[in-house]
Amino acid sequence: MTNLQFLWVVAVAQGVLLVALIILIILNRWFRLRRSARLQPRRRELDAAMQGWAMGRAPAAEVERALARLPVSLAVDALVTWSARVPGERWQDLSRVLANQWWTRVVRTNNRSARWWKRLECARFLSVAATPHDIGRVLRLLHDDHPAVQIAAANTLERLTSPILVTAALEQLPLLGTTVQAYYASALKKARPAVVRHLQQLFRRPDDPRLPRVVEFAARLEHPDLRAPFTALATHRDPEVRSQVARALGKYPHAESVVALRLLAQDGLWPVRAQAIRSLGMIADPATVQLVRDALRDGEWWVRLRAGLALTRFGAAGRNVLLAVEVGAHEASRDMARLVLGLSPQALAEYAA
Amino acid sequence: MSPVIHGADLAILLYFLVLNSFYALLLVLSIPEIWEQTRLAEDEDFQRLMQSDALPPISILVPAHNESATIEASVTAILTLEYRNFEIIVVNDGSKDDTLERLRHAFDLYEVPRTYPETIATKPLRALYRSRARTRLMVIDKENGGKADSLNAAVNASRFPLVIAVDADTLIEPDALLRLTRPFLLGRHIAAVGGTVRVANGCTVKDGRVTDARVSGRFLPGVQVVEYLRAFLFGRLGWNRLGGTLVISGAFGLFRKEYLHAIGGYRTTSVVEDLDLVVRLHRYLRQHKQHYEIPFIPDPVAWTEVPESARILSRQRERWHRGLVAAMWLYKGMLFNPRYGRVGLIAMPFFTFGETLAPLVEVVGYVITLGGLLLGAVNVNFALLFVLVAWGYGMLLSLWAVVLEEVSFQRYRRFGDLGRLLLFATLENFGYRQRTVWWRVKAFWLVFRQKQAWGEMTRKGFESAGKQVTEPSTARRADAQR
Repeated sequence: MTNLQFLWVVAVAQGVLLVALIILIILNRWFRLRRSARLQPRRRELDAAMQGWAMGRAPAAEVERALARLPVSLAVDALVTWSARVPGERWQDLSRVLANQWWTRVVRTNNRSARWWKRLECARFLSVAATPHDIGRVLRLLHDDHPAVQIAAANTLERLTSPILVTAALEQLPLLGTTVQAYYASALKKARPAVVRHLQQLFRRPDDPRLPRVVEFAARLEHPDLRAPFTALATHRDPEVRSQVARALGKYPHAESVVALRLLAQDGLWPVRAQAIRSLGMIADPATVQLVRDALRDGEWWVRLRAGLALTRFGAAGRNVLLAVEVGAHEASRDMARLVLGLSPQALAEYAA
Repeated sequence: MSPVIHGADLAILLYFLVLNSFYALLLVLSIPEIWEQTRLAEDEDFQRLMQSDALPPISILVPAHNESATIEASVTAILTLEYRNFEIIVVNDGSKDDTLERLRHAFDLYEVPRTYPETIATKPLRALYRSRARTRLMVIDKENGGKADSLNAAVNASRFPLVIAVDADTLIEPDALLRLTRPFLLGRHIAAVGGTVRVANGCTVKDGRVTDARVSGRFLPGVQVVEYLRAFLFGRLGWNRLGGTLVISGAFGLFRKEYLHAIGGYRTTSVVEDLDLVVRLHRYLRQHKQHYEIPFIPDPVAWTEVPESARILSRQRERWHRGLVAAMWLYKGMLFNPRYGRVGLIAMPFFTFGETLAPLVEVVGYVITLGGLLLGAVNVNFALLFVLVAWGYGMLLSLWAVVLEEVSFQRYRRFGDLGRLLLFATLENFGYRQRTVWWRVKAFWLVFRQKQAWGEMTRKGFESAGKQVTEPSTARRADAQR
């Protein structure tokens, strides 16, 4: 074959490929439109059935039938979407009904699939429709290799309370990346009693390097049984633990919390002081107004800001302090008082959040 | 004479064979990558994510230089992004217009003292402002020092561990931040992550949002839609699999701040600070044996306005290539250096010998072929067919990008837009490609003369219904596609 002949072969092959690609693009678009036109009425039918069932006007069997008429991926999508709108107990009834459907059995068996997207589909389905029989499957998915599957499986904890799953998730928690950890934590909030018991055990290990993460997570729960362990950690040597404790105690308006926060407000590190002052504002104990006023003279701008914002939560007493400081002699606190008094209610609300 | 021409022809043929084989490899690698990314993008329950406080807080850095026409709308649009915890730091980089006044008026700014150290040296700051109306907003007024200097000032002021640099004239989709943080949620060790930048020209823009994605009917912006698709949807997805992403668009890229500090922030002397930054990130992280990833994910989208005139486009492309040449020269120590892993052994050689030298080789190829034809040393049929095959390959790559778009995100829903995409993918190789090659060749000459200028870029701005604002403004343009 000569060079010219070779080039001709390449050119012809390229031409065929170009035409094939153009046909592929057009056909793909056409098939998609047809598929969408075919599925749209079924989606609407499902939405109507779900609406009727959620309001108690239609039997669950109607929802079952409508779901079975959709492709599995769309049925799972619809379940995930609707699960957020229907109350928990009623949703659990549907989960039980769905357990015997042929397509849900297929989805469930996918928890052992070699393909991660099949396992992901299974995890997403179980996150909204798991029954106590699925605990083994969820446990397996929680330990899956693919992080997306793990995350989806962790969502199951919001609906299915099982000490086995909670323990498995909590054990994994400190080993995960910060973001994944926080996401697990939000999923675990629903399973409070089992989680709190486990956390109380973890709090008894002050030298555990996982403690800052555990405290951060525990703070999100706002459970009354965790107040005492938090106050005990106010003198912990790790500043991150102290900072997390200072933040958490704001949600526990109790005399012991105030004592701990008074101590933390004198901390050598400004992030701890700022959090403590913020929490004192949240508790708004009139006896701490003077302490918060003193924080307006702090060398760190952020602590002064937190003090100014905290004073706005003390009602008239706090406002009077700010007005007095605004015309006072101390320049830094005067500027901060002026700044805080000039903030709009929306800005104050945003800072509080 | 004839053996010389034949030898040169053979060398050029081999060069293109190797280069195109590599493109073919990227093309093949983009298939599993888009499959995985599409599955992940479809399967996420964003409502649930939004309710979660798990997402990492982000500082959005917005350098602004003479952006008076659009700054208020841009900042308002960013303030309404669907993300739970973020702050915006706008840097007024010594604007000569009333950018700062506009901000002050729109967001009720008040001056605050500086409460953070200058970790990265920048031009002097004039003042810092916070907003009484929007607590997420901070404005830095500083002396003019360029985009990189502004970004460094914003990095210094940022409070959060992740920072994202956004051009003031870039429109970010409401859920883009949420999508951009997906790799973090998947527990990966991310140093930086890039999203897709698309062309906004011709689209309908309302309240700082692209409400209807269209492909412009005009040739230059239309052909750039195809270019951007090619650059983002198959080029970068392919690089994801190879682990050698060297470019994260300066118009839309998320970085871990601790690493930015470690490498001293953006380099102010570079004309393409985004490429320079990513190469230095790779260098630092490899030298320190850190486990990291710099992925590109296709579904977070930002929209940018591309040049509509050949004059402005030529400046932009010239500058991009000037930056590429300079960066490849500056970091030549990484080339074929096994210490830098795939970056040193695959990415740097590709960018040096493929991306950087390609326009030179292409011009030499045209000259030699023409010379050979004039001297009768080259077979006419062979030469014409060779050129046709080379252009045909370019068309294949462009069409492949359109295929990826069609099977994944389908942002352009009308058949008319699809037709325009196909048309521009075909026409791109006839005239447009040769012009861009020429602009890129000129960049070598400017590098040789050590010209550093960014050049002023005329921008029209966005308006509702996809029409353009009539009063032009000058501003530094986005480094979007490269």
